[in-house]
Amino acid sequence: MLTVLALCLIPATRYYQIDVPLLRFLRGSRQVDPLSLHLSGEFVEGNLGTEQDPDGSVTVRMVAQQYLFVPHCILVPAGTPVHLRITSADAVHSLAFNGTDYNVKVLPGTISEAQLRFPNPGEYKMPCREFCGAGHYAMRSRLVVVARDRFPALGAGERGNCAAQ
Amino acid sequence: MTLSCTLLLMTAAGPLVLHAGDNPPDRVPSYVSWTPETIAAASSGDAFRGMLLARRCDHCHGAEGFSTAASTPNLAGMEKLAIWKQLQDFKAYKRMSRTMNSIAESLSPRDVADLVAYYAKLPAFADPQDDRAFPQPRPDQSHAAIASHLVSFGNGERGIPPCQACHGPVAYRPGVPSLATQNAEYVLSQLEAFANQTRANDINVQMRTIAGLLTEDERHAIAEYYGSGLGFQAGGPTK
Repeated sequence: MLTVLALCLIPATRYYQIDVPLLRFLRGSRQVDPLSLHLSGEFVEGNLGTEQDPDGSVTVRMVAQQYLFVPHCILVPAGTPVHLRITSADAVHSLAFNGTDYNVKVLPGTISEAQLRFPNPGEYKMPCREFCGAGHYAMRSRLVVVARDRFPALGAGERGNCAAQ
Repeated sequence: MTLSCTLLLMTAAGPLVLHAGDNPPDRVPSYVSWTPETIAAASSGDAFRGMLLARRCDHCHGAEGFSTAASTPNLAGMEKLAIWKQLQDFKAYKRMSRTMNSIAESLSPRDVADLVAYYAKLPAFADPQDDRAFPQPRPDQSHAAIASHLVSFGNGERGIPPCQACHGPVAYRPGVPSLATQNAEYVLSQLEAFANQTRANDINVQMRTIAGLLTEDERHAIAEYYGSGLGFQAGGPTK
């Protein structure tokens, strides 16, 4: 019994560090209506993307839906804390960052939060790691990490992304 | 319908967290939200009454739902929720069209539901005697290869989902039009409108993102593929 418990704890230390569904439900206040994300609230289309916080870190807001992450390309500065806030408009998705340990489960109705940090500039593929339907295998977006001095200065209402590139 | 959408909008604003600096007001792509009530309202129409009303639409959309000009969409056998959503968006000026905005404004919620029920019932294969613009000639070999691959598999490397996962016949999602019987010119014009943001009534930036990822050549290829009636076939690349 104890062995089983110990075995369960070992992989949980890193992989589930940023996503504990039970804790998320217990904390509450992170409920959103997946059907009306586009109407009002935090995940309206003008609010998606990278936001510059006053303390120098950035907040990234994304919507996962069959079969696309929006925005399709995320731009963040290197070596800066990244607060990721993501929710789903339909099915269960999972946002993975290839080449890192990060993997964020995305459930409809709740906001998944994660604290990420990317030390070096580079490009990461962000595939969906939870089977979500017929187009699942093509559900993939990009994360572009640029050096801090190359990250554009964003105003209060501005949201950055690199989807146009 | 408009009332329920407005109510939904008002109630949804309540419990959600408001972020700092809410001005300018949030842009809403469409007031339609696929709640069970909306879906019930959109699928409760009377097809017979719709048939009588649809005689006003014949001039452009054709007597059998196959339009006479390739720039006008075919409506025969179209998904109910898809027509319903577009009419709501025309009514709310979320999708702009010189003709359709005023027509949609003149329709009552019941008229919309009835029209939707009628067009959804029409067979997708028309009488070959009529003057429809569909189907158009098949795409050439290179375009057919590009299109069939994108339609069946998308492009995993660039993150483009396969068209048939939402537009049928593999799967449909609420409000997504079937492309089985659509005109090439219309499909192309809409892909271009999404790509350059002149049409922006898609929920959660879905089609604006996808159309923006496609190259000019790929948009033409996909339009020709659906315009030639190949959209009926599910599955792998053309032999």
